[in-house]
Amino acid sequence: MNDLSGLLTALQFGDGQFPGGGFAFSWGLESLIADGQITRTGFGGFLAGQMRHRWAKCDRVIIAHAHAAAGDLSRLLALDDLADAWATVETMRAGSRRAGLALLGTHLRLGTPGAQPLKNAIDGGKAQGHLPVVQGVVLAGIGLDGPSALAVSAYGMAQSFCTAAIRLGLISHLDAQRSLADVRPDLARIIAEPMPDTDDIQSFTPLADIAAMRHMDQTQRLFSN
Amino acid sequence: MRKIGAARIGIGGPVGSGKTALVERLIPALHKRGVDLAVITNDLVTHEDAERLRRTNLLAPERILAVEAGACPHTVIREDPTLNMEAADSLDRDFPDLDLILIESGGDNLASTFSLDLVDYWLFVIDVAGGDDIPRKRGPGVIQSDLLVINKVDLAPYVGVTLAPMIREASAARAGRPVLCTNCRANEGIDAVADALCAAVLYQAA
Repeated sequence: MNDLSGLLTALQFGDGQFPGGGFAFSWGLESLIADGQITRTGFGGFLAGQMRHRWAKCDRVIIAHAHAAAGDLSRLLALDDLADAWATVETMRAGSRRAGLALLGTHLRLGTPGAQPLKNAIDGGKAQGHLPVVQGVVLAGIGLDGPSALAVSAYGMAQSFCTAAIRLGLISHLDAQRSLADVRPDLARIIAEPMPDTDDIQSFTPLADIAAMRHMDQTQRLFSN
Repeated sequence: MRKIGAARIGIGGPVGSGKTALVERLIPALHKRGVDLAVITNDLVTHEDAERLRRTNLLAPERILAVEAGACPHTVIREDPTLNMEAADSLDRDFPDLDLILIESGGDNLASTFSLDLVDYWLFVIDVAGGDDIPRKRGPGVIQSDLLVINKVDLAPYVGVTLAPMIREASAARAGRPVLCTNCRANEGIDAVADALCAAVLYQAA
């Protein structure tokens, strides 16, 4: 795929309008706002923290390994188990599974290579279908190289936090664009870093994790987590 | 594209028009017709609609799923219906004999429409208390739905609405496609809606 064709492919599959169910998840943000733990001016810092301390060290590693192993089902099943184990918060784990299945469902219907064998494994009870594994498989299936796949995933996660924050009334549309621009150099640097082994996965976002644990007890919920 | 499972029917309409009340009345009416049924609700704010349905004990709780819409009731039934499709697929897997899944949208405005990748047929519920000018506004929900239901017809005299012209205007706006009237509180008009659904997607004669 030439550069321009690759860019257009990344734009299509990185678009916030791509039907993968992402709009229904806030990954702890809704509860943080409900609990008064985050302010408009603090959103940029929150976004950078989520990307650095969760996406970069956990999701990115699983996506990259799944992308590299897109045709190797037994390796994908092991990565799916790992994603399940690393999602220690119930609402995050359920969200990762539901978002993964929704994204996979669309790619199945589009006929993306690699989607059907993974779906068969999920239907057969051999995998859960966690989002980072599905992302790795389908982004490889549509022909994106590893770094482009990571860029699509990173941008998708960051813009999903931004649109959730807008809909929850925390930030404005301009705040969102400024936050995305501010985090971009960080994301580019992280994507270019050497890929850790799966034994070196980490995740440390305690405030968001506690908020996500409290989500099921909130009296009002617009989002799934 | 999907394997043959239960037929899927969408129920949309503005906030407070009576979508949940209609579902509560349709469940026994469809059971009476031998239809094996499940419901998905898309709540705007909470699991209110799903909980309300579960409290009625009309359906086993595992046959009522709630899908959060992230404050986007349009998106979850149209631009990105993937979460509803996954929920419906999971009902098909869990209940292999299922005939019909009702997908109740969160309360929305007159512009809401259902993706035809999500549903086989959809109805739009308005009510007389919302004003007799709603059909004249020709919103996509009123125009494009397979069936338009005008609910709360008993309230017409109290809100200054004369029903006959409202129905005429609705039929004209829809180029003669079906319009049915209900009073869900009193269980009036429900059989006609149930018959219409069964005829359209289950090929049952009324």
